[in-house]
Amino acid sequence: MTTTSGRGLRLAEAAFAVAVLALGLFVAFETTQIHTARSNAPVGPALFPYIVAAGLILVGLFALREAFAGKVAHADEAGFELDWKAIVIASLGLLVHLLIVEDLGWLVATTVLFALVARAFGSRRLMADLALGLVLALLTFGVFNYGLDLSLPVGTVWEDLIDSMAADEPA
Amino acid sequence: METLTALGHGFAVALTPYNLIWAVLGVTVGTAVGVLPGIGPALTVALLLPITYNLDPTAAFIMFAGIYYGAMYGGSTTAILLNTPGESGSIVTAIDGHAMARQGRGAQALATAAIGSFIAGTIATLALTFVAPALVRVALLFGPAEYFALMVLALTTVTAVLGNSLVRGLASLFFGLALGLVGIDLQTGQARFSLGIPELLDGIDVVVVAVGLFAVGETLYMAARNRYETEEIYALKGTKWLGKEDWKRSWKPWLRGTALGFPFGALPAGGSEIPTFLSYLTEKRLTKHPEEFGNGAIEAVAGPEAANNAAAAGTLAPLLSLGLPTSATAAIMLAAFQQYGLQPGPLLFESNPELVWGMIASLYIGNVLLLVLNLPLVGLWVKLLTIPKPWLYAGILVFATLGTYTLNNNVVDLVILWIIGLVGFGMRTLDIPVAPCVVGLILGPLAEQQFRRALAISQGDASVFFTQPIALALLVIAAALVLVPVVLRRRRRNAADPAVSGG
Repeated sequence: MTTTSGRGLRLAEAAFAVAVLALGLFVAFETTQIHTARSNAPVGPALFPYIVAAGLILVGLFALREAFAGKVAHADEAGFELDWKAIVIASLGLLVHLLIVEDLGWLVATTVLFALVARAFGSRRLMADLALGLVLALLTFGVFNYGLDLSLPVGTVWEDLIDSMAADEPA
Repeated sequence: METLTALGHGFAVALTPYNLIWAVLGVTVGTAVGVLPGIGPALTVALLLPITYNLDPTAAFIMFAGIYYGAMYGGSTTAILLNTPGESGSIVTAIDGHAMARQGRGAQALATAAIGSFIAGTIATLALTFVAPALVRVALLFGPAEYFALMVLALTTVTAVLGNSLVRGLASLFFGLALGLVGIDLQTGQARFSLGIPELLDGIDVVVVAVGLFAVGETLYMAARNRYETEEIYALKGTKWLGKEDWKRSWKPWLRGTALGFPFGALPAGGSEIPTFLSYLTEKRLTKHPEEFGNGAIEAVAGPEAANNAAAAGTLAPLLSLGLPTSATAAIMLAAFQQYGLQPGPLLFESNPELVWGMIASLYIGNVLLLVLNLPLVGLWVKLLTIPKPWLYAGILVFATLGTYTLNNNVVDLVILWIIGLVGFGMRTLDIPVAPCVVGLILGPLAEQQFRRALAISQGDASVFFTQPIALALLVIAAALVLVPVVLRRRRRNAADPAVSGG
């Protein structure tokens, strides 16, 4: 499951061409949806998007031709391989981070992100990774929220918890 | 004379203790981050952008200039000791620089790179001091049609010149242009491509895209290749100083590299890749030891490294005087200006002389600081290379999300970062250059504005682009840059294939 042979790369080339082509068609379609009001300006907001769409479609077609002609990246490196498991773990780290950062806060999200990316790079020391991630998260949180006056999220869950605890306390 | 007075005022600004502290901080952090493998100057500036949000603009740009120059110095260290160039400008340095490191002459390679960078950086900053005001005078003659033509030229050079496939370069460019369309149309107030997401009305930030492509894309790629690649750091040993022979073989390449680098950087000609290659080829032709090239020739480090730094200073000339970024790093610097509501160009010299000249003066200071930081203290930076890879890349992604989130304090930017990161991984895997995308994203909307302004002035007459001599000349050069190589290649192919050329 970790190998990407020459065939895989050729498939990737074709996929890239199709993606460019699809993006061009999408841009063209979206541009037809732009409401162009009558105005005195000779060029409205739709002309440039159409040019970009045309460019994408043309480039996509050329790329498709190159892909079929067998022009492939890394062709000179025999047995070019990619570790897909590592990619999934690392990108999962980012996904989890963006999903929890506002609720559970910067400290938790960053610690998880750090540990997952370290795991993707083959680290087996989960405890050390978590500890180091937490230290980095605390450090950045401190510098940004107190030193630079930029607010990294504390986490709504904790904020609610603190609020409810404060409310419970007799005045 | 006027220029020297202005520069004098700039030094007065840059040498105040407050600004000097930011300059020192900039070069130190820039070097440190630049030394880390996988992080080049463009990403360094993008990642460190949030630190400057609450600074006054002059201090912020003095710090930026330091980060930029520092990252250029730091990048050569990684190229030489690890053979992983952080950006296209140090690819050439890596060839012979790493060979020298393998022979135990790493210290000498670092020294010739640092001294060469200092000499090139200083001469090029001097050139910038006089070229930038001259460009401002030219820029005052420019109308919207000329600006549009100039931007088309810049986009073409960045695309046609980088990478080995025009189709891949164009795909990257048009992807960037498409991203640039997102948001409210500045002239009509129409929302475009916002897909009903309110956060997209402000457009997609160039910092998010740069961090996504350079940091996330690169990290995913490194994660994917980690198991199959091993790298070795070559320890510095023996004498750290350049011998007499090394000096003799280095000083001419330094000067020649500078002479090649600055003009290429200053013209909208695609940054530092070409001058470094040209410098390498020049030195190979002129040297008495051509057999050493590829196996650790000191000229092959001295020349390209000087060219690289001179080009970096050169790109600041069109950036400051025309508002025209010609490299990915310059594109992010432009984004930084926009963050402060400043638009680089002729007016900036009028309205913010303190900022412009303070920044230029700080470049001279930064170069001296960097020489000090890089010659005696190089051993300290090398220690950074021993950070274990899992922690290094985990840290890079932490800072990537940090920089992205603090832009607007919303999660939508993190979603965009994630998506762009995956795209960046794909581009890295398929050898698609990312610089055209970044430059396209920031120049696209500016070009569209000038295009529509030109047509509004001419009342819809599209011939404005072809009747004004400057605009026409720029567009012809742009077209030639794309078409000539294609035609030449076709002709060469036909010549090689007698069946075709005979028929």
